[in-house]
Amino acid sequence: MSDLIDGFIMVGQMDVLVAILLSAIYGLVVGSLPGLSATMATALLVPVTFYLSPIAAVATIISASAMAIFSGDIPGCLLRIPGTPASAAYTDEAYAMTRKGQAEMALGIGLWFSAIGGIVGTLSLMVMAPALAEVALNFSSFEYFWLAVLGLMCATLVARSSPVKAIASMLLGLLFSCIGMENPAGAPRFTFGMTDLLGGIEPLPALVGVFALSEVMRALATAEPPPLPRRKFGSILAGQWSLTRRFQWPMWRGNVVGIIIGVLPGAGADMAAWVSYALSKRFSKTPEKFGTGHPEGLVEAGASNNASLASGWVPALLFGIPGDTITAIAIGVLYMKGLNPGPTLFTERASSMYALYIIFILANIIMIPLGILMIRLATRVLRAPRASIMPVILMLCAMGAFATGNNLFAILLVGFFGVLGYIMERNGYPVAALVLGIVMGSMVEQSFVTSLIKSDNSLLPFFERPISAVLATITLAALLWPVAAWLIRRRRRAPRRPAPQGG
Amino acid sequence: MQLSDKVTGALLIALGGVTAYGASLQPGVPGQDVGPSVFPAVIGLGLMGCGAMIAFGVGHSFEAPDDTIPAEPGETVPRPPRFAEWRAFLAPLLLVLYVLVSETLGFLITAAICILVMTRALGGSWRLAVALALLGPVGLHLAFYELLRVPLPDGLLALPW
Repeated sequence: MSDLIDGFIMVGQMDVLVAILLSAIYGLVVGSLPGLSATMATALLVPVTFYLSPIAAVATIISASAMAIFSGDIPGCLLRIPGTPASAAYTDEAYAMTRKGQAEMALGIGLWFSAIGGIVGTLSLMVMAPALAEVALNFSSFEYFWLAVLGLMCATLVARSSPVKAIASMLLGLLFSCIGMENPAGAPRFTFGMTDLLGGIEPLPALVGVFALSEVMRALATAEPPPLPRRKFGSILAGQWSLTRRFQWPMWRGNVVGIIIGVLPGAGADMAAWVSYALSKRFSKTPEKFGTGHPEGLVEAGASNNASLASGWVPALLFGIPGDTITAIAIGVLYMKGLNPGPTLFTERASSMYALYIIFILANIIMIPLGILMIRLATRVLRAPRASIMPVILMLCAMGAFATGNNLFAILLVGFFGVLGYIMERNGYPVAALVLGIVMGSMVEQSFVTSLIKSDNSLLPFFERPISAVLATITLAALLWPVAAWLIRRRRRAPRRPAPQGG
Repeated sequence: MQLSDKVTGALLIALGGVTAYGASLQPGVPGQDVGPSVFPAVIGLGLMGCGAMIAFGVGHSFEAPDDTIPAEPGETVPRPPRFAEWRAFLAPLLLVLYVLVSETLGFLITAAICILVMTRALGGSWRLAVALALLGPVGLHLAFYELLRVPLPDGLLALPW
């Protein structure tokens, strides 16, 4: 109980409250600008967190990411351009409502059910994380190895792309993590004699490059989206309560699916929204209404993507394995602030964990008034031409990377990863898998080599311990699944091949 | 930069081969069989395997079509700008320029050049570009130098505060 009170006192500090408010506004604005994703908003925020207290630093990340995921719905609804990838799943539906003259309702659904999803997700984090921490205390390097690999495999399985390409992206990320002196021999590895590479590739410049710079590059290569027509909005929250009652079941399903996808390492809000929208359509009593401006799918997917945000912190806090790309950034901040992820965090730093839960709830509550304000101002914010935003974002990429170590080399890394991310994305290689590979590489290698040394180079103990055997089976199934699926498809297609000759 | 799967697959095979070779050159750890070469060797072999599968088109059918939403009939689709593919690389080039000249020219001048070029490249008017190039660097300097204490180079032009 005293931990809980301590948590409240920690959040009640002036600097934490100001940090929550400012980062909330920042998240709302950045999330609403088309093309600027929640991950990017978070990545550019990291240099600022250097100068904040640990709780304030975590608070900025939580509130900025939650707001950005909601506010990505705004341009999707008004312009048919999703503000963040997490809104892409239901952009068409929301825009159809706008065309029917129900823009207020569509935006209200986004706001109201995002907040509910966020709060339910937080409750799941509060229940799950401490319970799992008990189990996690028994984990040895074998379990950690499989868990890390399973996390990487999840990232490849849920990518909306070829699983082979996703695995290749992930391996590329792991390869980048090999660079530097931090390896079992402590000798420079793959540094090509460059002193700047001795310390390894920091995840932050890679993240900024892949998620922010490549977005600036894409803006340069595509046409300016159409300007938003001016409009006045009626009441945003009117009718939301009756919608909550009417679509209670889809809302809960969205929450639960979001939580499950969030907990899976590597799968985040975008995936939650896609899966939930598809499920909603599949189980709806009126699937024919989907796509014509029907609120049901919006309710389910809107709740789902925000629920996944909070539960994504479960593997991050327990194992240091990111639940999605946003928590991949958060883990770095946690380490920097001395809140090293691990099961002991819940026993030794319990008050900090309570503070974290409180921040989540608080962020989702202030989302409603701030979100209404943002919707009212949206027509102004969204009229800002890209030519005035992207140059500043480019400079923020440079400054943000530079601030991590006051080293110009970091800016070159941003440039390199920006180009790499841009080319990979254009060719169907999912960049989230690359980033997770970079973030988790040293953990995978460490647990792998430690386990091999412990087992005297035998692979058998990797499968002998009960938990590690289960994890290994799931991982190998995930690894072999693309090959199996390909073979099945080929076999099905094979008999049809002679047909064109006949007809 | 749309490349065929054969090209990217071949690149991955080559990269995997180089990685595996580089791993074999790693020094061992005395008295221990497992050293710094094991992990990169596994990655190198994995990359070669994936590269081969991609080149042969395995898994291609899983690729989701682009997220871009098709235009409604009657809706005008904005045309991509000229040299769209190459213009994208302006942004990383500006970062390289920043790294090369910011120490001598200083943050304010270098940032102003980058912002001016970017704004014009994105189709902003000269008025907007000049206004942004004058105000943007000062704002960034205030935020990063004054508030966050990031040591930005002064170079030729330093702010009076």
